[in-house]
Amino acid sequence: MTGGELEILKGISLEIKSGESVAIVGASGSGKSTLLGLLAGLDQASGGRVVIGDTDLGQLDEDGRALFRGREVGFVFQSFQLLPALTALENVMLPLELQGQANAREQAAHYLERVELAERVSHYPRQLSGGEQQRVAIARAFAARPTILFADEPTGNLDTRTGSHIIDLLFELNREEGTTLVLVTHDQTLAARCERRLCIEAGELVAAA
Amino acid sequence: MSMTATRMLARDWRGGELGVLVMALVLAVGTVAGISAFTTRLQSALEQESHRFLAADAVVRSSRDLPEAWLREARGRGLRLARTLSFPSMVYAGEEAMYLASVKAVSDEYPLRGELTRSEEPFGEIRPARAGPGPGEVWLDSRLFPLLDVAVGQRVGIGDAEFTVTAAARTEPDQGASFYGYGPRVLMHYGDIPATGVVQPGSRVEYRQLYAGEPESVTAFAGWLKPQLVNGQSLLDVNDGQPGIGSALKRAESFLLLAGSLAVVLAGVAIALAARRFSERHNDYVAIMKSLGATSAAVNRLYGRSLLLLGATATLAGCLLGWGLQAMFFQLFAEQLPVKPGPSGLRPYAIGSATSLTCLLCFAWPPLRRLAQASPLRVLRRDLPLENRRTLGDYSLGLLAVSLLMWWYSGDWRLTLAVLAGLAITVALGLCLALTLLRGGRLVGMSAGSIWRLALAGLQRRGTANALQVVIFAMAIMLLLVLLLVRTSLIDEWQMQLPEDTPNHFIINIGPEQVQAVDQMLRQQQIASEPLYPMIRGRIMSVNGEELPQTEDRTQDRRQRESNFTWSTTLPGDNRLAAGRWWDPETTEALVSLESGYAERLGVGIGDTLGFLVGSRPLQATVASIRELEWQSMRPNFFLIFPPRLLADYPATFMTSFHLEASDKRFLNRFIREFPTVTVIEMDVVVEQVRSIVRQVSAAIELVLVVILAAGGLVLVAGVQASVDARMQESAILRALGARRRLVLGGLLIEFATLGLFAGLLATVAAELSVYILQTWVMDMHYAPSPRIWPAGLVCGSLLVGGLGVFSCRKVVSSPPLALLREL
Repeated sequence: MTGGELEILKGISLEIKSGESVAIVGASGSGKSTLLGLLAGLDQASGGRVVIGDTDLGQLDEDGRALFRGREVGFVFQSFQLLPALTALENVMLPLELQGQANAREQAAHYLERVELAERVSHYPRQLSGGEQQRVAIARAFAARPTILFADEPTGNLDTRTGSHIIDLLFELNREEGTTLVLVTHDQTLAARCERRLCIEAGELVAAA
Repeated sequence: MSMTATRMLARDWRGGELGVLVMALVLAVGTVAGISAFTTRLQSALEQESHRFLAADAVVRSSRDLPEAWLREARGRGLRLARTLSFPSMVYAGEEAMYLASVKAVSDEYPLRGELTRSEEPFGEIRPARAGPGPGEVWLDSRLFPLLDVAVGQRVGIGDAEFTVTAAARTEPDQGASFYGYGPRVLMHYGDIPATGVVQPGSRVEYRQLYAGEPESVTAFAGWLKPQLVNGQSLLDVNDGQPGIGSALKRAESFLLLAGSLAVVLAGVAIALAARRFSERHNDYVAIMKSLGATSAAVNRLYGRSLLLLGATATLAGCLLGWGLQAMFFQLFAEQLPVKPGPSGLRPYAIGSATSLTCLLCFAWPPLRRLAQASPLRVLRRDLPLENRRTLGDYSLGLLAVSLLMWWYSGDWRLTLAVLAGLAITVALGLCLALTLLRGGRLVGMSAGSIWRLALAGLQRRGTANALQVVIFAMAIMLLLVLLLVRTSLIDEWQMQLPEDTPNHFIINIGPEQVQAVDQMLRQQQIASEPLYPMIRGRIMSVNGEELPQTEDRTQDRRQRESNFTWSTTLPGDNRLAAGRWWDPETTEALVSLESGYAERLGVGIGDTLGFLVGSRPLQATVASIRELEWQSMRPNFFLIFPPRLLADYPATFMTSFHLEASDKRFLNRFIREFPTVTVIEMDVVVEQVRSIVRQVSAAIELVLVVILAAGGLVLVAGVQASVDARMQESAILRALGARRRLVLGGLLIEFATLGLFAGLLATVAAELSVYILQTWVMDMHYAPSPRIWPAGLVCGSLLVGGLGVFSCRKVVSSPPLALLREL
């Protein structure tokens, strides 16, 4: 994979099985976020292919990938990425509404209850702590029932204790929903909880454990 | 998604980001609709006003009796009718007193439009009258009372009939201002004419039929009537109304339309700026929504809906504001406007809404539409460049839209061009000057203190953005200066035209032997009068030996007709020489000086020879000069001026004009007793009417100016806000690193003030150019450079922009830096 004159990722070939949990580890700037962006269809590769299920992401245009993301992919980000204009409930409802689901409100309420935020449905993101915001983000990610969940440094902005609580929640839900989990982190303990670890260094896959 | 649109708008409203966008829209719609409604209503009021000067909607006049069949036809069409007959006649009182008066007999329905006034005693308090004198009654002009030595209740004779004097006749709506044959007025009943026996075939009389009704019926009737008019009969319509008020209001209307056009431009710029900032801030939201599966179409729908919702609300609010504005204008006018303003209809609000739609489509939508192209990758990498850069296409679209709106709105392409020229100069100069000066700042910065170095470094780092900002500030300041300048010169000119001591009385028919005595009496009373001008009645007969047509048709420019001549050794004070040379005072040559409009209508120029008939003697003269003069000045003005020696042998009377306060009016009684043959014409009511309308129009103009100033201020706020984010971040980092409050704020102040200074400079240059074009080509005024605005433009520019900048960034020193950095 080359990006203009600067090659960010090169010669990466990997297969992730359905239901598997995989950690991509590496130092800052090693290219792990770029890889995640490509895998999730947030970005388009200048070469090579990304296939999820039967879908070749390279064959889709941006709108096609958006629809695909809405249907198949869930996200948890380091900086939460909640919409400040919407309440916790509305944030969780958003992907369901985008898919045109009728009972968005009930489903969203269910998942917020699942992440133990039933009391805070009508709070705005700025009224929530970091850990609470990340739990809303997790509820949002699972509410759309994705087949594959991407998490980018999900504990990066949280303290250790809150972080480990979030991780517990993430793995628990992942197990219950049978979702494929791909997470990017430089946190070795977090990586250790995944079934498989991929190590990336200067844009190359150097070790798989 | 619609819930999301409302939510998003609600949150952005609370966040203050929508404020400028909404305010700009509301102001644009409000000023455009308000000004348009105001001018529409004023126009219909003016139309009524000009009908007032005819005392009807249409009038036919003739020196012979008019067919009864026309009255029947008009009645059949549902029109109201009245008849008048004017003729000169001797009026007798007692044994000896008699005087030549201008008698007017009116039917019961007169006047159909406007107001007839009377007073219970001569020069007494003026009261409106519902109709003219009844049968057997007459009303006399105030000055006839001393001349005939009669009082109300006594009898006077006209021809074979006797009448009781029941009031003093004061004003008639269709009085006119023709001096010739203007004897003191006697009003009588139309039905009493036969009894007097004074109207015989061949008498010098003027018959009039007056018609009034629904505009369509009047137009249709006039269309039916026109082909039947024979020589000597003419149809008068609104265009024959009073010109004095007309031209003042015409310019006021131009000014208001200009102001409205500027409101459109200013609002467009403010909307563009606000929408751009709005879209920049929404890039991250769009990225999140796209990562969650929103397609470009869905994003477009969301923002489209938001814009629609916003537009609809703001348009509604704007229309309300517009309605309020025009209502306020008329509140100002209410006392002075002699007629009720007409309805405005829905058109002004349609124009306002169209403005809103155009502004939204051309200024707000392009940056928002590009939001849909924001990369979802921003959820992972916030440092990605923003997608919504404005393109040349956007600017061209906006410019085109603004030009078309301005043109549609003002209906005047010269006005549009004048403003566009100013804007173009601002942009061109702005980009050159700003880039050069900002680059040059590096040298200064090295030797200055640290606040200055900080500010100049900031100016240079954001060079391109700053240049753009200077242009935007300059545009706003320029438009405000243009408006301010045009307003000031308009009001100055009006006040100069009709100052407090404007002559409001004319005296004519002063015999040569009376000149000295009249002059002396005026002086004794300490009345400042114009010089006494000789006046000779004459008739133009030929041009370069070619006989002019003999016709009564007043629409014909080239015809034999009567005018007042005068002679003078010098060019009268308020006249300007447009062509040719003024003659030597001692000249014996046969020369003449023409008023420019007169020369134009006759199609003659310098060197042409004109033939006249004065009394029964022919006279030939060569055109030596052409003069321009102000007909509204209420001073004696003449179409034709000759050298004194040429007219020395012809019989002349003299005339002058002077100002008389209402409280001194009884002086006229004494004056008339002293000089019974002299005619006094009272113009004080008309002058006061024009003056008060001008005062009110000036007030309306000031009000509009305030509204536009608000629009301009909004552009400045939007412009400052547009750059606040980047500056806030830098300042927050500076604060975090320990910079003192004074350094940070001082740096920001200098940075913004410098931008404002450059903007003020550009604005002043461009405003001068724009005002030059406007005054020379559009408003028909004399252009004079205005050195006063130079310092004003510079100082206001730097103070306003500097102040606003610091105000917008004040948060940076009042909040903890960490909180700020998190927020940004």
